[in-house]
Amino acid sequence: MGDTELELSPAQLEELQQSPSASSNSSTSSLSLPSSPSSGTRPLTSSSPSTSEGLPTSSPPLDVISEGVGELSLVIDTEVAKKACQEVLQKVKFLKADGEVSSASSEPVLVNGTAHPESTDGGKPPKISQEEAEPVKNVRRRQKNNSSKQSWLLRLFESKLFDISMAISYLYNSKEPGVQAYIGNRLFSFRNEEVDFYLPQLLNMYIHMDEDVGDAIKPYVVYRCRQSINFSLQCAWLLGAYSSDMHISTQRHSRGTKLRKLILSDELKPSSQRIRREVPQPPPSCPPPLHHGQGMSEHSLSPSKRTHQRSKSDATVSISLSSNLKRTASNPKVETSQDEDLSSSSDSLTLEAGTPVRLTPQREFIKSLMGIGKRLATLPTKEQKTQRLISELSLLNHKLPARVWLPTAAFDHHVVRVPHTQAVVLNSKDKAPYLIYVEVLECENFETSSVPVRIPETRIRSTRSVENLPDCGITPDQRASSFSTVPNYDNDDEAWSVDDIGELQVELPEIHTNSYDNISQFSVDSITSQESKEPIFIAAGDIRRRLSEQLAHTPTTFKRDPEDPSAVALKEPWQEKVRRIREGSPYGHLPNWRLLSVIVKCGDDLRQELLAYQVLKQLQIIWEQERVPLWIKPYKILVISSDSGMIEPVVNAVSIHQVKKQSQLLLLDYFRQEHGDYNTEEFLTAQRNFVQSCAGYCLICYLLQVKDRHNGNILLDSEGHIIHIDFGFILSSSPRNLGFETSAFKLTSEFVDVMGGLDGDMFNYYKMLMLQGLIAARKHMEKVIQIVEIMQQGSQLPCFHGSSTIRNLKERFHMNLTEEQLQVLVEQMVDGSMRSITTKLYDGFQYLTNGIM
Amino acid sequence: MAQTEKKAGLLRRTSSSKKPLKEKVVLMYDEIFAKEDPTKNNPRFWDELFLMKVNLEYLEGKLESLDGDEVMKIKDNINSLFHHCVQALGEEHQIKVVNALQTLCALFRGVHQKNKSATGFDIINMLMGFDKAELRMKELMESLDSLLCGDGSESLKSLCLKLLLCLVTVTDNISQNTILEYVMINSIFEAILQILSDVSSRAQHGYDAVVLLALLVNYRKYESVNPYIVKLSIVDDEPTLDGMGMVIHHALTEYNRQYKDKEEENQGGFFSTLTSMVGSMFIADADEKLSVQTNEAILLALYEAVHLNRNFITVLAQSHPEIDMATTPATPVPASPTTPLSTTPPSLDMMNNPELPLDPNLQTSNLLITFLKYSSIVMQDTKDEHRLNSARLCLIILTCIAEDQYADAFLHDDNMNFRVNLHRMPMRHRKKAADKNIPSRPLVCAVLDLMVEFIITHMMKEFPMDLYVRCIQIIHKLICYQKKCRVRMHYTWRELWSALINLLKFLLSNETILLAKHNIFQLALQVVNLFNMFITYGDTFLPTPSSYDELYYEIIRMHQVFDNLYCMVLRVSTNAGQWKEPASKVTHALVNVRAIINHFNPKIESYAAVNHISQLSEDQVLEVVRSNYDTLTLKLQDGLDQFERYSEQPREAGFFKELVRSISLNVRKNVSLSTMSQDVLLKEFSSIS
Repeated sequence: MGDTELELSPAQLEELQQSPSASSNSSTSSLSLPSSPSSGTRPLTSSSPSTSEGLPTSSPPLDVISEGVGELSLVIDTEVAKKACQEVLQKVKFLKADGEVSSASSEPVLVNGTAHPESTDGGKPPKISQEEAEPVKNVRRRQKNNSSKQSWLLRLFESKLFDISMAISYLYNSKEPGVQAYIGNRLFSFRNEEVDFYLPQLLNMYIHMDEDVGDAIKPYVVYRCRQSINFSLQCAWLLGAYSSDMHISTQRHSRGTKLRKLILSDELKPSSQRIRREVPQPPPSCPPPLHHGQGMSEHSLSPSKRTHQRSKSDATVSISLSSNLKRTASNPKVETSQDEDLSSSSDSLTLEAGTPVRLTPQREFIKSLMGIGKRLATLPTKEQKTQRLISELSLLNHKLPARVWLPTAAFDHHVVRVPHTQAVVLNSKDKAPYLIYVEVLECENFETSSVPVRIPETRIRSTRSVENLPDCGITPDQRASSFSTVPNYDNDDEAWSVDDIGELQVELPEIHTNSYDNISQFSVDSITSQESKEPIFIAAGDIRRRLSEQLAHTPTTFKRDPEDPSAVALKEPWQEKVRRIREGSPYGHLPNWRLLSVIVKCGDDLRQELLAYQVLKQLQIIWEQERVPLWIKPYKILVISSDSGMIEPVVNAVSIHQVKKQSQLLLLDYFRQEHGDYNTEEFLTAQRNFVQSCAGYCLICYLLQVKDRHNGNILLDSEGHIIHIDFGFILSSSPRNLGFETSAFKLTSEFVDVMGGLDGDMFNYYKMLMLQGLIAARKHMEKVIQIVEIMQQGSQLPCFHGSSTIRNLKERFHMNLTEEQLQVLVEQMVDGSMRSITTKLYDGFQYLTNGIM
Repeated sequence: MAQTEKKAGLLRRTSSSKKPLKEKVVLMYDEIFAKEDPTKNNPRFWDELFLMKVNLEYLEGKLESLDGDEVMKIKDNINSLFHHCVQALGEEHQIKVVNALQTLCALFRGVHQKNKSATGFDIINMLMGFDKAELRMKELMESLDSLLCGDGSESLKSLCLKLLLCLVTVTDNISQNTILEYVMINSIFEAILQILSDVSSRAQHGYDAVVLLALLVNYRKYESVNPYIVKLSIVDDEPTLDGMGMVIHHALTEYNRQYKDKEEENQGGFFSTLTSMVGSMFIADADEKLSVQTNEAILLALYEAVHLNRNFITVLAQSHPEIDMATTPATPVPASPTTPLSTTPPSLDMMNNPELPLDPNLQTSNLLITFLKYSSIVMQDTKDEHRLNSARLCLIILTCIAEDQYADAFLHDDNMNFRVNLHRMPMRHRKKAADKNIPSRPLVCAVLDLMVEFIITHMMKEFPMDLYVRCIQIIHKLICYQKKCRVRMHYTWRELWSALINLLKFLLSNETILLAKHNIFQLALQVVNLFNMFITYGDTFLPTPSSYDELYYEIIRMHQVFDNLYCMVLRVSTNAGQWKEPASKVTHALVNVRAIINHFNPKIESYAAVNHISQLSEDQVLEVVRSNYDTLTLKLQDGLDQFERYSEQPREAGFFKELVRSISLNVRKNVSLSTMSQDVLLKEFSSIS
């Protein structure tokens, strides 16, 4: 957070600025800085909560970007601070030889430091258990002697401007075990979400860098793994993926593999004691929240019997229950309850019985999704793939609900159903990525909240259940006494007639009735006509007209194309899809029902995508901070292994290829069709969105050298934004090395037309946005570079091919240019891209080879 | 003694080749039939008896030969035999269990064969004694239940099911089988469900279990409360329902496959004969079991599941890979190792077993598709009474499906597209459609295709009136759903329209013959009302404005049929007679069709006159239609979108009674065969125990 510098008092500023020179002057001067245990702890305890809470709101942002450049020199750049630190550390190393023992003083600070946030942070990260802290301590013991002179560096670490980004940077750049160990401890004081962003970096360092870094990171990782299943799995997946580039023999014994095994062996369970203190489990007797739902009263009557609480502690119960399944003899008197047992216990069998391991359900869930992808890839046609996908998912449905979740979601939930008929296979030549929609129920905490009860698919049609059947209440004994002739109960009218559409309306929330109330206008008519025997006349022309009007008024949808099944699915507005699926779902009536979607990719390496996501996210944060209205949409990536993963789909967006193929219009005409004519507010809004997103992505494309920019990889959302997807070719790699796409980014004349032409205000706005964006990005270049640089460690990814990847990336930020020069540069790039025939050529090439328009 | 003579004669007759007489077990049987308590001489008599290999023929023959008085004399011994059979079922020694099961089988059958005239109560008294009957049957059912649910031998389970099937089918009319009252009280429903829910047991016993269930459900269906009906209607455990669906799916698929093989065989070709030869090696004696009648049992099971259990509807749409590849070994219920939907801990098999076999040539299928294909075969030829019944049952099932909201939802689901290759009767005037070109469409299109196919292929002298009425009802129900939910199917409605018009034409030209047997006005009214649906509500479910134009075009083109129909019904309704009322209903229903014809025909003629064209092209007619809508007024008719819901009672009760009777006969025949072959089983046990 580059702006927080402003908060520093001038004195502090000066102090920090002077320190490099001071230290160079005299190595001993740093010793005089206050570093007693008491003074050391105070700032730390006070600052750590504020770094975690206060930062985003308290930082007054820079007003105008142009001023930012001037200010850059005034404030301390992380770069400067870092240099200073490095110098000091260098000095420290020299001192080591002298064997000067001065500071057991800084040591307790560190240890206390880690212990303190417990009290200040509301006890969130408690003290590290003995065995976890041990490696760090070892290091500390070794380093005791030479960590003496770090106290002023410590002050930087303790200051408010020390954020996670800097921590990662120091962890990576510092060769000093003491500093690394300190930061390892310091990680505990950051908010989980902050650290999570850098998890790939942390783990990559853990795998590929020297032991000290690993030792510094491990306690934190282990601690978090104990806390969260989700974190455990993320770590395990990332560790696996980032270890995969190592040679197989070294990989087997590498630290990463070992840690991964440790996590997957599920030894990192929260100790029962801790769990009780931190996340008090709901008393088992209290009914889960979703039982409020109507029509479920019969379930909630016997919560203890149904054991749908599938947390680990309950697993044993479900096992004992499943053994109940084996009945020795039928006892007619308890038949009905046995019936229930049968269904519920087989339910709980699904994911628990054999192995009551806390990670298992989720791992199996992901595995089966990947398995489907693998099997789909063997089928030749899209149609077969789609059918197979639907049938495979319907089988998967049998095992839901379960304690599984989508890691791409932002809230805790349990997956309850996959509306299998909605799933689509995406366009890909030989792989079979597919998009599924997933119904989830939001919950407090997916680890402790109870798993929702399964509701049968045909919930609507439970009329003929025990309660409603006139005679089924008769016990066998009663039957025996009355040997025969009970009045015919099979009165079909009574048992069957009350149902279907009428009932459907009653059961579902009000949305439903809306869509139905106008349907039966004629049936109403016909009823009234029955009463008054007056014949009703209608004009044939009206019927015909209504028919054509209704067809015209339906929102523009795409036509079903067996070769491109995803087009229709993606075009449907998200809200409408949610509503539609909710109506059809047996869980739809629950208030905490949500719909999520995810793309499952099997056979694709998503590590580059993840890298791109991080860079995009970082740039998005930077631009937001600097108030540059660039619009980009980083979409979440989940790396599961080096050849599989999941992607969070961009909703309400279809590819420009699909737009053009379906509409057969120029982009501008499509905009007018979707948003209205020029000068309507809708059109102007959409146009502005288009420009802002276009500028954002042009910068991204330039900075990251994103290649393979054909229209299938550029989405257009319903608000007019473009969104680039598929970052398979970035930095040093380009498709097939054909040398196409030499331009800085993709800017076709159609794009320019949407912006209102070359002379339009919007086009100038577009260029200005790019300039502002570039300046802002340049200001925080380090944060961007760092993400990429750390990931380069030990990586064989094509985007790091060659030796100059980072250098070239840095050069594209043009630190040496003045603002005017930058402006010229932007002009040149825009010009070049416009004139570039290679963009056009590349589109033609894609059309020839892949049929992408 | 007279009895010994009889016995001797019997043995000579049946097993002349075997070594004569004096089999130990036969001697022991004789002791039982000898009035005296057999334990008098030999206290371990019963223990020993069940160690002997059962001689079913002899025992059955012996029972058969007794008359009422004789029976009463040895009643105590028979009661005792029954009692000890039941006790033996709990033995650890499996040989004893097997023998006891078979003896019971013989007892049930023998008693019934003899006492055809006797009441059920007499039989109960003879077997168990009135005072003990309840207790004995309770013990028996509990033993069977624990055998079926236990971990014991699969052959034993199979034998248990055979015994139950045997018991259920001893009488021609299942409702007269009084012993079943005890099976009602001591339900084995849960055991049947458990067999169906488990993959391996389902593969081996699923067929028998499903048939048994279907029969049990039909016991005194209309007179009393049948707990099996109640229980079946509330099952909501998906693995179980799926298991049931799988069994039915397999059986129907197997039938389809055999039909296809036979068809190919008839068409000749070296390869097809070869495969069928290889196939028949596998089928061998199973061939007999797969006659049409046996499939009626499966069809009945499907009907009961669809009709009674609302959750079963989801199973219909459950996709499976199609299994009708020629290489599948043809057991009645092929034991597929890759059967999905296991209840074994799925957490482990979710990935490890690839659930569905990987074969790019496999089309994904589901029970509904298989059923539609099956129906298309069965409906081809309705001359045979069994096939007629099967076709009727198929249509009844489809009626139930068409009425179901959830089923309609997935029938019309735009995302669930399938290619359904229906079997079409080879007809002279049409080529066999190229199978491969059938587009992938929502399933409702296949249902409509099937209905259209039926309509155009059954206009014959032996007019299946009843089937036609059901067929039109199904179409009507589907259209009602589409209208209600505003589903616009891209279906070639034109084919349906022309089929319906042709049907009217057929009714008209065969009026006199048909009217002797059927109320053709009811059918005509239904057809005309379908047109009225299209005319007045077309805006709610037709896919395009031009399809509405086409409807008018088709009516105008075939106006002569409607004109003739109007003349006919007008004539009949003016004459007094039994058809007056129904015929006048048709006259009223025709008002809009006639309005259309009378409105557009002059316009078209004048258009032709003005433009000096003798024969207007389709486009020209459509042009005239389009430009003259506004001057046409239609009358709104009542209740077009309302239909009577299907109800089994009382209308279909007779049909089902007869159906169950024929199924019972058939099952009995087949069970007796297979029970005899259980000798093999005995050997298996004698070696392991």
